[in-house]
Amino acid sequence: MNTSKAKSSEGLDWIAITQKIGTPVASVILAILIGSFIMWVSGYNPVAAFSALYQGSFGSPKAFGDTLLRSTPLILAGLGLAYGFKANLFNIGAEGQLFMGGLAAAALGLALAGQPWYLAIPLLLIAAMLAGAAWAFIPAILKARIGAHEVITTMMFTYIARYVVSWLVVGPLKDPGQIPQTRLLPVESQLPRIQSLFSDATLQAMPFLKFGRAHMGILVALIAAVVLWLVLKYTTLGYENRAVGFNPFAAETGGISVQWTTVKSLCISGALAGLAGAVEVMGVHHRLFDQFSSGFGFTGIAVALLAKNHPLAVIPAALLFGAMSAGAGTMQLVADVPQKIILIVQALVIFFVAAEGIITYFLKQRQKEVPSHVG
Amino acid sequence: MLGDIITPDLFASAFRMATPLALAAIGGTICERSGVVNIALEGIMLVGAFAGVAVTLAFGSPWLGVVAAVLAGVAIAAIHAFTSINLRSDQVVSGTAINILALGLTGFLMEIMYGHPGTTEAIITIKPVFRFATERGSGTFFGVIWNWFNTIVLSHTPIVYGAIIIAVVAQWAMYNTRWGLHLRALGEHPRAVDTVGVSVVRGRWIAVLMSGALAGLAGANLTLEQVGSFTENMTNGRGFIALAANIFGRWTPVGSYSASLLFGFFDALQIKLQIFRGEINIPPQFFLMMPYVLTVVVLAGVVGRAVGPAAVGKPYKKG
Repeated sequence: MNTSKAKSSEGLDWIAITQKIGTPVASVILAILIGSFIMWVSGYNPVAAFSALYQGSFGSPKAFGDTLLRSTPLILAGLGLAYGFKANLFNIGAEGQLFMGGLAAAALGLALAGQPWYLAIPLLLIAAMLAGAAWAFIPAILKARIGAHEVITTMMFTYIARYVVSWLVVGPLKDPGQIPQTRLLPVESQLPRIQSLFSDATLQAMPFLKFGRAHMGILVALIAAVVLWLVLKYTTLGYENRAVGFNPFAAETGGISVQWTTVKSLCISGALAGLAGAVEVMGVHHRLFDQFSSGFGFTGIAVALLAKNHPLAVIPAALLFGAMSAGAGTMQLVADVPQKIILIVQALVIFFVAAEGIITYFLKQRQKEVPSHVG
Repeated sequence: MLGDIITPDLFASAFRMATPLALAAIGGTICERSGVVNIALEGIMLVGAFAGVAVTLAFGSPWLGVVAAVLAGVAIAAIHAFTSINLRSDQVVSGTAINILALGLTGFLMEIMYGHPGTTEAIITIKPVFRFATERGSGTFFGVIWNWFNTIVLSHTPIVYGAIIIAVVAQWAMYNTRWGLHLRALGEHPRAVDTVGVSVVRGRWIAVLMSGALAGLAGANLTLEQVGSFTENMTNGRGFIALAANIFGRWTPVGSYSASLLFGFFDALQIKLQIFRGEINIPPQFFLMMPYVLTVVVLAGVVGRAVGPAAVGKPYKKG
């Protein structure tokens, strides 16, 4: 892996690139094929299902807007997970940090009513990052100091975060109405929709810009992806993160504090997940309620794995899962296939990406049948 | 108030709450002792819970449901065994994929079998093994003793007793049989096991399948003995708490059971305390988060001194 990286910095090495994206692409295709098979066995028409899915995700500017909308938190959560994975940290509880990010954005947004947007929006995003990082901090310390497995601790913190949010939206932060949710965020704290940037005349002339509910959070996500890529590639912080993931003993010998790097890595991972929660609250719902995330933190795991932890590759991977999530509704409506099939396909993608040995395994099985020369 | 909280029912409830955790935790112990991490316990439990209810609804027999839950658990565990042992995938990643698969599969099957998401209709649950009147001769000293004994020890359903028996038998087998010796060696030094001519692949496969059977049984206990219906994602993190119980129990079956009993007790306590919410004025969410907080506290207190099997999580490559 290191040699191919060295080569690609001199110029584009197409063979290496093809090899790198080969497994993810093959994994997605295999997963979709098996998903289709499951649909077919269950009595559905997979062709109708996937064409409906396509219609609902790329079929119109509005559908594409929905895909962007779903991809935005997935990019951010996926980046957070990828950063942790690079240091060999499995932040399975990104969902909890995402909840705390959403909470921080909502609470501060309500408190900052009347402030101009150029003050409110950056402050809300920073607060969400801090909240996400803070929620990852205790698991991080426990991991670094005594080796408590982050899979268990971050998962427990996810459940705790859900109860904290569900308490706040029926208690202290509750909107004085019947529904358990906060009040609507002031307009200055909301991320504007992409189509609101264009005048009505422009939209009339160019209807392909009518992205529906898609919002400027996508810009935040894209910037985050590029920044994280630069951090990993060019900074000491990123180098230490990778070094610890590659070989903690060698890193320690080389003068890197593994404990401190572990804490930083999980907190940065949490900060990005927190940001994912913030864009969802500020861009989509404009308020907080206890079901505001449809498992973006968990889907982020699949996104990061499919992207092989490369920050820029997280973008297309998130678009894929965002599209599936956006099109699932149309699929259920048109082809009557339960949306849950998407989760099955997602799990299959993870299996295939993780099992890089799968192809060599089957090749070996075949080789065994051929009698070899006795040495 | 204390007299209303500390009742025989509280302790009986602790055993009931502990059972799914303990079964999954013992499964986790066996699996990790063989050198394979199994964070898929959560998903396996969920599939077991669903299979149990689906078969009970179809055939009217909860016992057939138990068998189905165990078999479903074994089937799902086989996927984990294949990917992590034969394909040498990252075991945590494979486990995560199974958890997502379980969520999707149970939800998908629920919609195509019953036409709606959410919760299935109620089933006939498995009844307690013994049945004695609770209030026999209360008032006298022996009447009170009998009441406590009857409620805490004699009021349970079969799998609750089964879990205790499994814990004891697994503990004995782990330290007194050839299988147990091989199992422990697999997790500490697989190459040594290989060198003496015992198959690492076979040994680990058996361990993973056993953990699947136990997690499936845990699911059966949850739906067929406790809740009486299946709800999507009803395991609610129990698989992960079970992993913590396994660590707290220092990778031994009886230790896993004891740790689960502690978690079960606090779960029973928080349910009991909720009744007095009016008097102590704490939001219900704080009670509900107690098991998760406790899990973190326990891990924080114990992990530094508990060391797991040396080769856990490392795929074994022969040669």
